[in-house]
Amino acid sequence: MALPLSYNWRNLFVRKLSTSLTFSVVSIIVAVLSILLSFAAGINDSLRSTGNPANIIVLRTGATAESTSLIKPDEANRVLQAPGIAQDDKGRTLASQELCAQTTLPRKDGRGIANVCVRGVDEIAFTIHKEVRLIEGRLFNVGQMEVIVGKAAQERYKHLALGEIVPMGRSGDRAYKVVGVFEADGSAVESEIWGPRTSIMDSFRRTFLSSVIVQVKDAGLAREAIDYLQGPAVRLKAKSETEYYEDLTSKTREIVVLTSVLITLMGIGAVFAVANTMYAAVDSRRREIAMLRTIGFVRRSIITAFVLESLLICMSACVCGLIIAALVSSMISKQDFLSDTTWTVLAYDLKMTPWTIGTALALAAAVGVIGGLAPAVRASRTKVIEALRKA
Amino acid sequence: MNLRLVYLHRNLTRNVRRSLLTCAAVGLPIMIYVLSMSVVHGVDKFLDNSAKQLRIVVTQKTSIVNPLPEGHRKKIEALDESKQRLTSVCGVQWIGGQRENDPTPLSVMAADADSFVSTMPEYELTQDEIDAWQKDRQAIIIGSGPAGQLGWKIGDRVSIVPTLPPYRAMEFHVISTAPKAPDNQSIFFRKDYLNEELKKDGFPEGQVSFFFVKCATKKDLDEFREKIDAAFAGSLDETRSLDEKTFMNEFIAQQFDLPKNLAILSGLTVFVAIMAAMNTMSMNFRDRIAEMATLKSLGFSGGFAFSLIQTESLLLCSLGGLVGAIVPFVVFTYTPARDFQVPLIQTLVVEWVTCMKALGIAVFIGLVAGVWPSWMAMRMHVVRALRNLE
Repeated sequence: MALPLSYNWRNLFVRKLSTSLTFSVVSIIVAVLSILLSFAAGINDSLRSTGNPANIIVLRTGATAESTSLIKPDEANRVLQAPGIAQDDKGRTLASQELCAQTTLPRKDGRGIANVCVRGVDEIAFTIHKEVRLIEGRLFNVGQMEVIVGKAAQERYKHLALGEIVPMGRSGDRAYKVVGVFEADGSAVESEIWGPRTSIMDSFRRTFLSSVIVQVKDAGLAREAIDYLQGPAVRLKAKSETEYYEDLTSKTREIVVLTSVLITLMGIGAVFAVANTMYAAVDSRRREIAMLRTIGFVRRSIITAFVLESLLICMSACVCGLIIAALVSSMISKQDFLSDTTWTVLAYDLKMTPWTIGTALALAAAVGVIGGLAPAVRASRTKVIEALRKA
Repeated sequence: MNLRLVYLHRNLTRNVRRSLLTCAAVGLPIMIYVLSMSVVHGVDKFLDNSAKQLRIVVTQKTSIVNPLPEGHRKKIEALDESKQRLTSVCGVQWIGGQRENDPTPLSVMAADADSFVSTMPEYELTQDEIDAWQKDRQAIIIGSGPAGQLGWKIGDRVSIVPTLPPYRAMEFHVISTAPKAPDNQSIFFRKDYLNEELKKDGFPEGQVSFFFVKCATKKDLDEFREKIDAAFAGSLDETRSLDEKTFMNEFIAQQFDLPKNLAILSGLTVFVAIMAAMNTMSMNFRDRIAEMATLKSLGFSGGFAFSLIQTESLLLCSLGGLVGAIVPFVVFTYTPARDFQVPLIQTLVVEWVTCMKALGIAVFIGLVAGVWPSWMAMRMHVVRALRNLE
């Protein structure tokens, strides 16, 4: 027979101070864990949702990112010969020659500056990057000094409001007008500024391209096209767009490793704190336990009861920790980091994913069970006669 | 006094399990504190060296990624013909780089061969190394971090593929592993070699990512920082000059701001430790209400009760803190873990100063955790306390 849950619940309030201190310890640890994981999830999300498996990004062999890649115009033309490249209904080949330049902009929150990617594209780019949608204003006109800006960039950096003039170019002396704002399913390109390729190349005095993005008719044809592009005919580096952005997530692996080390240490600390509280609970209730045994509760019920009690503290603390994490995450949500591969900022929002919540719940449960088990076993071994006699 | 000591000892050993659990619950957060602060101090030390070297970093105004022309060096040097105030100018081109078939990124830079040694004196190259650097066009200095990881030694012929032009394997001769350099990640080779290779493949040559300008005094640094930017104002390639510490800081702040976040984290863990210790002390106190009341009724003062609980709390936490501080110190000083590399900066060094600080914090935790129970013990109403015991 099991003990009623209300028995455990009420017991928690007998030792208010002790329970609340243990509760706070577990809440804080859960909150720290969730916030750190939200960082990782946010970055992963913005990079993972970028890219279409049918899109192939072509870079200079040896370059690791668009910003370090230089492609000569004649090389870019050779890319067009790759097999399986799709055409749109107007018969245009779906290949977008792009230039990735950088400009420094002040941050809105006053925390210094950010190195923002300025992408020079032709009209065809919008057919290939279907996820890019204007949400305000209009598209730039080819040949004009006009740009559209990503939503994430606009939220974080100055000079990017609709109608504002943003100085760009190699000497920072070319005045571009912001004529539109775009969205791209929360992907990495939302941290960028897009403008007409010819104007951008001229302003940044660049004669080389950074990348060519081609779209194949079907994602299944990508392999063949990639082999052709890397082969002797073109000799450039080709990767599916999804793969390219996934490689940029290496930074999150560092955060995850750091998080795991810290959380393991903190988790063990929490186990000790919980065990301490539960031992005290058991010790102060020896007579009570003896009584329970006398009236017929078996040892297993006693163990279950005390582990449950420990779990109750930890799980409720976990809920509290998750709420704190959600509040903090929403306060510091708009983040970005300077990728050491692209040398441009990648914006991301902190995200509390089901996985984050699941991990937090699992941690709290583990702390509760491990911390509660030894005291519970001790409780179940209470010598009935002795405990009752002591009274 | 003697009585007190005996009593203290009895109290601590009365519930050994509880004492040990408390020590652990305090010791682990202290350990996290020590590790986090060691990383933070590593960064600080790195930045302090940058400040000490009195160097200006000159980059392109619109973005650090945009190159500056090599010719800027002559114009910067011309600002102080005497070379008394601007003692040395070195142009550096960042080319990233990795080994063939190994995606681990390396931080490889091409530096002006003639001025590297005088601009970066903290590398403390030996005379032999300096001679080799000047004689051998393919000389390369590998920071002790990557040298250790890749097993590269002086005299090795190594091959690195730059992630920037010329994008193909380049051969180098390792002439130094710079054991004295505070920045142990960077790899330097000669820029004349890079330019030659670029010319072969038809890539633009003579570009510089940043110029390091060594100044004689802090005053010269502040003055020339502005003079350099003024000299290029209105030209095709305007510059942005910062002192090296600010430059590095700007960089670190943009990459997750590790120092700041670790500092926040270690603050939180200390808070957690306070609560864990407080828990124990309040439990101890509750268990011993009767005893305390008896002591007081026997004539011991409230101050005695106060000091008894306070010292116990202090001892418990200091003990936990001691273990929490000593373990990382020993692990990162005497075991193979001492070669552990922290991304961004360098080898993790756990300094004893950090450990002493951590110990101080543990003592503080003990003080705070004991305050409430010991206060209660001091103010306790004897009759009421004894009556309440059922």
